[in-house]
This record gives sequence, structure tokens and C-alpha cells, in this order.
Amino acid sequence: MLSIVNRVLLGLLGLALFGAGLVVVLTALDVVPAAWPWSGPDDVLLSDADRTRWRDEGWWWPVVIGGLALVMLLALWWTVAQLRQQRLSEVLVDSGDGVGALLRGRAMEDVVSAEAESLPGIDEARVTLVGRRTQPRIRVGLLLAPQAQPDVAVHRLRTEAVEHARASAGLAVLPTEVRLRSTKHAPERLS
Amino acid sequence: MTNDTDEDVVEAADDEAATVSGPTLEKPAPEKSAPEESAPENRLAKTASAVRYEPGDAESEAVRRFWSVRRVPAALAAVLLVVAAGVLLYDIVSVRAERPAAAWRRELADELAVRGLDDASVVLAAVAAMLLGLWLVVLAVTPGLRGLLPMRRRDDAFLRAGIERGAAAVVLRDRALEVSGVRSVRVSVGRRRVRASAQAHFRDLDVVRADLDAVLGEGIRELGLARQPALAVQVHRPARR
Repeated sequence: MLSIVNRVLLGLLGLALFGAGLVVVLTALDVVPAAWPWSGPDDVLLSDADRTRWRDEGWWWPVVIGGLALVMLLALWWTVAQLRQQRLSEVLVDSGDGVGALLRGRAMEDVVSAEAESLPGIDEARVTLVGRRTQPRIRVGLLLAPQAQPDVAVHRLRTEAVEHARASAGLAVLPTEVRLRSTKHAPERLS
Repeated sequence: MTNDTDEDVVEAADDEAATVSGPTLEKPAPEKSAPEESAPENRLAKTASAVRYEPGDAESEAVRRFWSVRRVPAALAAVLLVVAAGVLLYDIVSVRAERPAAAWRRELADELAVRGLDDASVVLAAVAAMLLGLWLVVLAVTPGLRGLLPMRRRDDAFLRAGIERGAAAVVLRDRALEVSGVRSVRVSVGRRRVRASAQAHFRDLDVVRADLDAVLGEGIRELGLARQPALAVQVHRPARR
């Protein structure tokens, strides 16, 4: 979701910058269609007359101030969205008798992480629960041990650590995203 | 995360190699010893062996790339917007409150009213804006995360896995070092090709290379990548001292 927002806003910003630059460059090259804001290479970017054109209108300053405030608030929200961690704090466990229970997300993360780290080939597992309370998803960052078999490690993570967590939380599915990293450890020779 | 380099390289030499580096007064390398005297001349002269193969497409399957969130460029753009809008807003409001406009704003207004569009600095700024805009559009539409290779799904719709190229290189390097005769090896994992360059201090180069081919080929298959990279193996003799 954040990815889509970021990409749309970055794309719009990029198009606006590109378009503005292109118009100025073309005007400087004396390519001036009628609709353009400048009359030719000799025109200035923003003349005093243009800048003060609406200054005496009653609506001008409220519009400028309101617009800038809106831009600033949206940009502020955009900034905060980057910093916020999208971690899920609790998972809703359906116990089947109409009485739900809340499972702390951190507890679930710790259990999956501990079980993953006990698997061969995995040195460290960082687990993050994301998504919604009723439909959580899980993100795992694995640090591979020397001599690890990545495919096997991922398979066992999925069929053991994550599967146990899914079953014990009573979830139908627990979509998983795994990223494997490795320390640049010194080579070991088996001979 | 920046992934500007095209390949992650892991270089390694085993302990033996570490101990034989540096000037020594040892005899010449053993491969020039008596038993090979009977071999043809070109056999003795051979100092390198290389092969590459391209994988069949049958092994590859369509798996979506990982898409970066573009957190860093978005945060930078957002902070710049906040600062620019905030400073301008502050000054406009303070002028509304009967205080004089800030110096930067008066200067900016003067410059904008004086400089023609064919002014060098204006054109330069416009070109810079175009390039920056183009780059932002590229960031917006490309997946990024070039360092993360997607792995096969194993018929599991709820699992997505990816391995960093550096990690894949470490795994392959560890396997390559198990081939006897290999003294040191350098494995670089690109997005389409795995390159291995090894130094073999004993055994026939072609034999070592064939072993490396088999071991690395198997290693690449066991990585479980969605797209099987091609493999290029080179084996050299270490430089004579």
C-alpha cells in the first residue's frame, strides 16, 4: 500500500518537474506554442506585474495560504508514513466458541523467530507481523549460516515454524515473505 | 538500499592459500614435476580452463520480482516539500502580520523578474529539473531491489522468498571450495549469470573445471531460484613465483 502511494506521488512529482523543465528549455530555444506561459526567450520567469497581479483581490491570500498549508500537511503525513512501522500489535484468535482472544503480535513473532533459529542453516531470524488483525501476514529476514542450503531452509521455515504459528493461532492462511541474507563469513574447508 | 553495482562478489581463499602468500624460497610448483614430462607440450603450457553454459528456459518459471517500497526517495521528497512549503508559508503569514518580508524572498522575486528564459542559469536549472524528474519517474515505475533474487514458489501460493545475491555468492563459494584442487575461488552472482573464477594448485585444470561445473550447477539448482542463472567457470593456475 505504502509502495503504491510512494510510487504514484514520486511519479507525479517527477512528471511535474520534467514538464516544467521541458517547457522552460523549449521556450529558451524559441519554440513557443500559444498556450505556453512565456512569450519567448526574452521573457522573464516571473515578472513583478505577474507576481502582484491578484494581490489586491480578496480571495488571493486565503487561497495561497490555504494551499500551502494543505501541501505542507500532506507532505507531513507522507513523511510520517515512511517512518511508521507497519507492525501488527495483536492477532485476533477465533477460539470457535464465539469468544475471541487477542494474541500479542510480539509474542507470535518471538515464537516463530525462536523456532526458525533452531532450524539448521539459519543463524538469525527477524520476524515481523504485518497486515490486519484477522488476516495477518508474516515477514521473515533470515541470516544464513555457513554451509546452509537456502531452498531447504526456506522450505523448513514454511512447513515448520510458520506452519506451527499459523495452526496455533487458528488462522486459515498465513502469507509469508522471506528474504535471505548472509554474513560474509570466512570460508570453511571440509577436507 | 542501494544496489548500483551489478554483481555481488565474494572472494575467498582457504587457509592454505593464506599461508603460502608472500615471498618464499620454495621450490617451483609441483605440477611441473616428472610424471607430466611425457605429456604433450601444450598440456604443460595450459594455464586456464573456462566454460559457460546457458540454462534451458524449461526450468524457469514466472515469479514476480520483489518491489521496493521506495521509502528513502519518498522520505527525502516529502521532507523537502514540508520544508519548502513551511518556510514559504511562514514568511507569507509574517508579511500578512505587518512584518517585512524575509531577504531571501525579496531576492528571489527580484531574480525571477530579471532573468530571461535564455539565461544560462535558468536553462541549467530547467535541465536539472528535467533530469531529476526523469529519475523520479524511473524510480516510480521500476521494481528496484536488484540485489534480491526471487526464489521458486514450490506450488505454495502463500510463500514468497528471495535470496540476496551476496548470500547466494557465499553459498556457492562455500561449495566451490569443497572441490579438491581449488585453492581459492571468486564467485560473483549477477542477475542472469553466475561467474566463478578459481585458482587450482593441483589436478588437471580441465578436471577441476568439470568438477566445479558439476558442483556449482548443482549448487545453483539447490538455491531454488525462480530464474536459473547461466554459469561461467574459469580455472587458472596460481601465478608462478
